[in-house]
Amino acid sequence: MPSRPVPSAERGRALVGGVGYTNLRDGSAGPLLAERLAGRLGPDVDVEDLSYSPIDVMFLLQRRPTYARAVFVGAVSRGAPPGTIRVSRWDPEPEPADAVQARVAEAVSGVISLENLLRITGHFGALPPEVTLVEIEPENETWGEGVTPTMERAMGEVAALLRGEALDAARV
Amino acid sequence: MCFKNLPVEFDEQGNASLRAGVLDPYKVARNGRPDKEERIKELLRKNGHIKEVSIDPVTRVAGALAFHSVVDLENRRVEDAHSMATLFRGYEIILKGRDPRDAIFISSRACGVCGGVHANASAEAIEMAFGVAPPPMGTIVRNLGQAAEFLYDHPLHLYLLAGPDYSEAVIGATNPEILARAQTYPARGKAHHGCATIGEIMTALNPLTGSLYLQALQETRRAREMTVLVWGKYPHPQTIVPGGISATVTSQTLNEYQTRLFYFLDYAKRIIAVWDDVFDFLYDVEPRFHEVGKRPTNLIDLGCWEHHDAYDATYAHAAEWGERRWGTPGVVLDGKLVTTDLHRINAGLEEFVDHSFYDEWADKPVPFATDPVGMPLSPYHMWNKETLPKPQGRSWREKYSWATSPRWDRQVVEGGAYARMWTTAIAIDKYPSNPFIKATGKSLDMLLPAASLPEMQCSWRIPNELNAIERNRARAYAQAYTALVALNNLLAAYDHQKKGETAVSRDYEIPKGERVGVGFWGAGRGYLSHHLTMDKGALTNYQILTPSTMNASPMDPFGQAGPYEEAVMNTPIIERFAKPDDFKGIDILRTIRSFDPCMPCTTHMYAGDVTVVREVNTCACALDEEDDAVPAGALG
Repeated sequence: MPSRPVPSAERGRALVGGVGYTNLRDGSAGPLLAERLAGRLGPDVDVEDLSYSPIDVMFLLQRRPTYARAVFVGAVSRGAPPGTIRVSRWDPEPEPADAVQARVAEAVSGVISLENLLRITGHFGALPPEVTLVEIEPENETWGEGVTPTMERAMGEVAALLRGEALDAARV
Repeated sequence: MCFKNLPVEFDEQGNASLRAGVLDPYKVARNGRPDKEERIKELLRKNGHIKEVSIDPVTRVAGALAFHSVVDLENRRVEDAHSMATLFRGYEIILKGRDPRDAIFISSRACGVCGGVHANASAEAIEMAFGVAPPPMGTIVRNLGQAAEFLYDHPLHLYLLAGPDYSEAVIGATNPEILARAQTYPARGKAHHGCATIGEIMTALNPLTGSLYLQALQETRRAREMTVLVWGKYPHPQTIVPGGISATVTSQTLNEYQTRLFYFLDYAKRIIAVWDDVFDFLYDVEPRFHEVGKRPTNLIDLGCWEHHDAYDATYAHAAEWGERRWGTPGVVLDGKLVTTDLHRINAGLEEFVDHSFYDEWADKPVPFATDPVGMPLSPYHMWNKETLPKPQGRSWREKYSWATSPRWDRQVVEGGAYARMWTTAIAIDKYPSNPFIKATGKSLDMLLPAASLPEMQCSWRIPNELNAIERNRARAYAQAYTALVALNNLLAAYDHQKKGETAVSRDYEIPKGERVGVGFWGAGRGYLSHHLTMDKGALTNYQILTPSTMNASPMDPFGQAGPYEEAVMNTPIIERFAKPDDFKGIDILRTIRSFDPCMPCTTHMYAGDVTVVREVNTCACALDEEDDAVPAGALG
């Protein structure tokens, strides 16, 4: 469960980033959440659609003053029931260089991926010290606009979580 | 005579017609070489040293490509090869029935690395159908954006995708004897790149840590800033519209572009020095590199970058404005220039699906027997094509790829930045007059002006052979060529500003009748065409042909392998390995990557009831499933 909320001003600026493809139904949960939450999480929280090359996200993070925390949100299919929300601290074992290079190649050639974003920005030291990953299990990732009711409900819960807990999801 | 195989002939005035007396002029005499599969099976059964090598996916390429080969490890040769595009992109289907203007924005999503080329190709196809052309400044600004996109693309290929194949890390693992020679082999271009030996360059090429690699990673940002100045957004531009461009271009815009461009002029000098040094060294210490990726010099390019005084967007004048581009269109067969005429290039195109996961369409009545100027068209031409996806099991004898088999005059041609440079260099009298680039028939001579580094004269000479090294070397020179095209257009932009000719777009109306259009264009990696037909204000057909469709194509109905396949089969195995399990296939990979494969974007794909998306497999090692995985509703 989340720990006791700490006033955000004591904890530095935070970033909430949505990651995914547009017009891919539930696969678009990340960018849609970023759109809905923009400007609504308080003055110390930047909300951004980070659905572009992880290399460019890395440049963005390098250019800005270091964030204290970041939450990255997106649809990730793991075979769980649709709408399942997974919240975790991002603190993985480093990958071999070959694997990171393969991710860089994907990134520069246009692939948008939550995992690539975290791995690449992490490898080059661009991630904030505290990173939380919020994954939502998609039901339908076919081409088209709009999300399923299941995803809509899950997105509402993630939005409420991020609003209500002032990013203390990062402390799970 | 332009065509050897197609039944088209020309009178003395150059007017084309179908050859008289041919009953079924575009009949396909199929020759699938059915004996080959049996022979390969027999070789595999009888010889322990002959192995099947499947590379799936081929890494360091954009999108999904798999490659199957049969390699004789004892005699160090490739017996068989199959290139497989493993995913389907259905932009043709998505675009049908839409407002043609949507195509600019939707088709640019075909690629996450070079969306601008699709937007430009689409805009030109629409302009032809609508009957509107941009004002000169609109064309110039489009060229600035296009050049900037290529300035992003070329270093990406050279340092992040293909470059690591020549790094210390890779060469040391596959050919330590070559790396040992490199450590003491002097580098002639030290004054430009700062490395005293080839070994130092190879260290600088190491992925993730090498200085050249890291610099290229940073330069992607600078090039993207240039594109965004005129395109608003990248990789999917928002300002390319029919009739021009919707950006406001001021002196400040041009100045900001110029600042970055002069950096790239210097960067181009360093790039040439690096790759000339590496490739000359490899030829010297291991002459078999001449054979790696070698295939006949059969090339196609549609040209690129319109000349602002020539482009009128009409099909009728395409032969004229095409030849005045900053990259000359052309077809080269066996090293000889066959044509630079966009009408003839267009009429020679066909697309076959005998070994692709599609149904045949050419048995239906042909919508367009000729192009708008009366040149005969094949039923297999893109204006006559219907995309009929048919997923099924893989069979080398039958169907094994989502790529089709495009051919020109029924011959296997390849596209690439090198093809653009080749056709431009060889077409001696076509190039626009300018102070920086000169086509001599044998070379492209270039003058890179002084920036932080002094002025530099360089010359890309048409090589005697087409192989992996020459594809990559031309790509290095393409950076200089592209920067100089940008400089020519920047000077033209200043000139038009001075004269007050600042309009960047023209109004248009959407025609209601039946129209056709084609965008003859090019990506950083070569050939790109968008063919459309429309009626009642909506698209009735939209066909995209990319360079990687040309190059990754499977065998055609005539039994001819695609360019990747042919190049790999000609490749000797130089790699050293103690036992078969150690074999990495680096020579095969070098060959494939030299084409700069960009497989169709794997994200928004449509295949009727089946939609295929890239598998997402985010690492979940930090998850605590019991505590943190919660079904929707459980948080409330």
